[in-house]
Amino acid sequence: MKKKWDKRKPGHHAEKSKMEPYFYILPVVLLLILTFGYPLLKSIIMAFQNYKLSNINDVYFNNFANFKKMFGDSDFLLLLKNSLIYVVISVTGQFVLGLILALTLKQKFRGRGLYQAIVFLPWAFSTFVVGLLFRWSFNGEYGVVNDLLIRAGIVDKGIAWLGTPGLSLVIIILAMIWLGIPFFGIMILAALQSIPEEVYEAADMDGCGLINKFFNITLPFIKPTVIITILLRTIWIFNSFDLVVIVTGGGPANYSQTLPSFMYTKAFSGYDFGLAGALGLMLMVILSIYAMVFLKISNYDKAGDF
Amino acid sequence: MKRKLIITLLTMALVAMAVTGCGKKGASSDNSSNESSDTSGKEEVKSLRFLDVVPSETRQTYYEGIFEKFQEETGIEVTYESVPWDDAANKITVLGSSGQLPDVMTTWSGWLGQYTVAGWVVPLDEYVTDIRGEYTDAVNNLLWKSEEERYGHVYTIPDGLMVKGVFVRKDWCEEAGIKLDPTQDWTYDDYFDLVAKLTDVSEKHYGTSYRGARGALDPLLVYMQGYTGGNTYDQQGKILINSEDCLNAFIKWTDVYKNGYAPEDSINWGFTEMVDNFTGGLTGTLINDSEVAATCQKNMSDDQWMVMPMPKSTVDGKIYNTINAPYSYSISGDSKSPDVAWKLVEFLSRSENSIEYCKLTGEIPIKKDVENDETYGLNGPYATFVQQLNDPDLAVPTTYGPFDYTDLHQGMFHEEIQKYLLGKEEAGTALTNITDELQSRMNDYMTKNPDATIETALKLQ
Repeated sequence: MKKKWDKRKPGHHAEKSKMEPYFYILPVVLLLILTFGYPLLKSIIMAFQNYKLSNINDVYFNNFANFKKMFGDSDFLLLLKNSLIYVVISVTGQFVLGLILALTLKQKFRGRGLYQAIVFLPWAFSTFVVGLLFRWSFNGEYGVVNDLLIRAGIVDKGIAWLGTPGLSLVIIILAMIWLGIPFFGIMILAALQSIPEEVYEAADMDGCGLINKFFNITLPFIKPTVIITILLRTIWIFNSFDLVVIVTGGGPANYSQTLPSFMYTKAFSGYDFGLAGALGLMLMVILSIYAMVFLKISNYDKAGDF
Repeated sequence: MKRKLIITLLTMALVAMAVTGCGKKGASSDNSSNESSDTSGKEEVKSLRFLDVVPSETRQTYYEGIFEKFQEETGIEVTYESVPWDDAANKITVLGSSGQLPDVMTTWSGWLGQYTVAGWVVPLDEYVTDIRGEYTDAVNNLLWKSEEERYGHVYTIPDGLMVKGVFVRKDWCEEAGIKLDPTQDWTYDDYFDLVAKLTDVSEKHYGTSYRGARGALDPLLVYMQGYTGGNTYDQQGKILINSEDCLNAFIKWTDVYKNGYAPEDSINWGFTEMVDNFTGGLTGTLINDSEVAATCQKNMSDDQWMVMPMPKSTVDGKIYNTINAPYSYSISGDSKSPDVAWKLVEFLSRSENSIEYCKLTGEIPIKKDVENDETYGLNGPYATFVQQLNDPDLAVPTTYGPFDYTDLHQGMFHEEIQKYLLGKEEAGTALTNITDELQSRMNDYMTKNPDATIETALKLQ
């Protein structure tokens, strides 16, 4: 007796197998389209609309009016400058301190586990808690930082950290660096632990010094991890607005405001979703260009080749 | 195959109808809020629907309790419905368009223009005519007068009144030998003097909780309106708050910060920081709504704080105070029994119920006889607010304009002031940037609404 599938045309089974993976990923794809694709598309559309939640009955396409308003804002260059300073210093600080942390933790010493647990703790904190911690620590009247500085005789009156242009952004950057060191530390430590000990032993036999070993063995081995971590952290930090909103609200006079926090304010305080959409679209373009250029100049595809 | 498909489609349609409650019976029960039984031609109403647009656990508990009392008295059951504030306008629009509005709604005054035109709220004149004398002068001559002028009728009964006052550290004043009498008039210059005298930085005492962030322009606008008769625009729609007097007022107001009578950090302060630092003992005065009195009562002893009325204008002697009824009661156009709905509104407005409600929300009750109440009476913590409501010099200044200014309120207004405070621009530039933007929006509005009447300040006298 011939089986049913034998009647089918040759190649049918192969075709079915070819389609099979797509069926498996279909639920996730649908979920992504629903939760990510639709909002993305909607925000792109809103970028070209007069879309104010306070006047929802008057939504219409206004061409490039939102972009004109965005670039025409007298504080736009200040926001761009703040964003760049915030990202560059935060990522650099996190990378350097994270690398030092990872190199330290690679060595075996007494109490390493406990030390590791303590220094990785900030990563477990919510940004909201970290924001409040820094906001209160740097409070001009009651803050612990001013109290310590006055007691140490470094200053004779409290500094208005959060109310002074320049300083307010520094506090947010400090908070961001403190928050992000563990992530770099964990990632780099994992990469360091994957370097075979034999390579270092061979280098020792060749009389290679500590600095030479670091630049010629350690760094090339951890390069792929470092590149991808820097890329990810840059995108995350550039997009993050929570610390800014919690610590200073972007003030005073936008001196600690970044583009994403400005976007958040326009959307959820000013209810101007059209302008917020335009800002979001611009951020997306900036980050896409950054990711492409960064991967290109860092030779990511060749990283790790020796 | 075809048959299978038809059966499947029919089954799906039936399920969909069952789920969405489609069908004549369901529709009729949705539309009709009042269960009624026909007894000898007269309908006896057994239930009402009530919609709250600013729900909270406290409010829901209050309303459910008060509705039980109402049912005990009248036998009418009231169903409490709610919608979050952010969705309220949309929800009411949908309900109004489909004729399903509940009998009684809490309504924000900004919606009345649309609702009166659409017939979603009914006039209450016939219900209030005989009892107007029971309500305070502020309700009669400010709120209802405004509704009558704008919409031709009275459409709402205030849930309570939110009034501003100057909260002052009584103990600091006593230490500094300053005597303040809430029953006596005072001016903004007196207020600025007080702020300066209460400042002692070595003791960590600052004269005032300065509002530097969102909302920074609100109290400053009221101060400047003391020079413009309470108005923001003249009858041609030309902005008034850019005059020389107003610029001087702008500088005088911001000098409080620039002269160090407020903490430097207060350039970033909003409502929460202002209140926290007043009750926490860092600042000596605070201009804010009556709702803050509850926080003061909770966190400070009676000998630590007092309330002064808003200062009078030196130009016309008026007390400009932004009084409003946050969420008034209205009867919907879809109510089958407006007379019964009125019974509920009247019950909610009764002094004892209104007092209970206002104690929860920090508002001032709307009826005159609350003057005998322990809380709202002459010796109570709200006495100064009640006194202002009956002061013949009381006036309510106009808003920023009849257009949408949310984005300015959340951004440009305080950013321009902050730039001046930080020395990044001149006072004249900051004020001009603000007034130019307001004028531009007003011009757009006037172009689109050529017959619009320009809002003017409401005055008791």
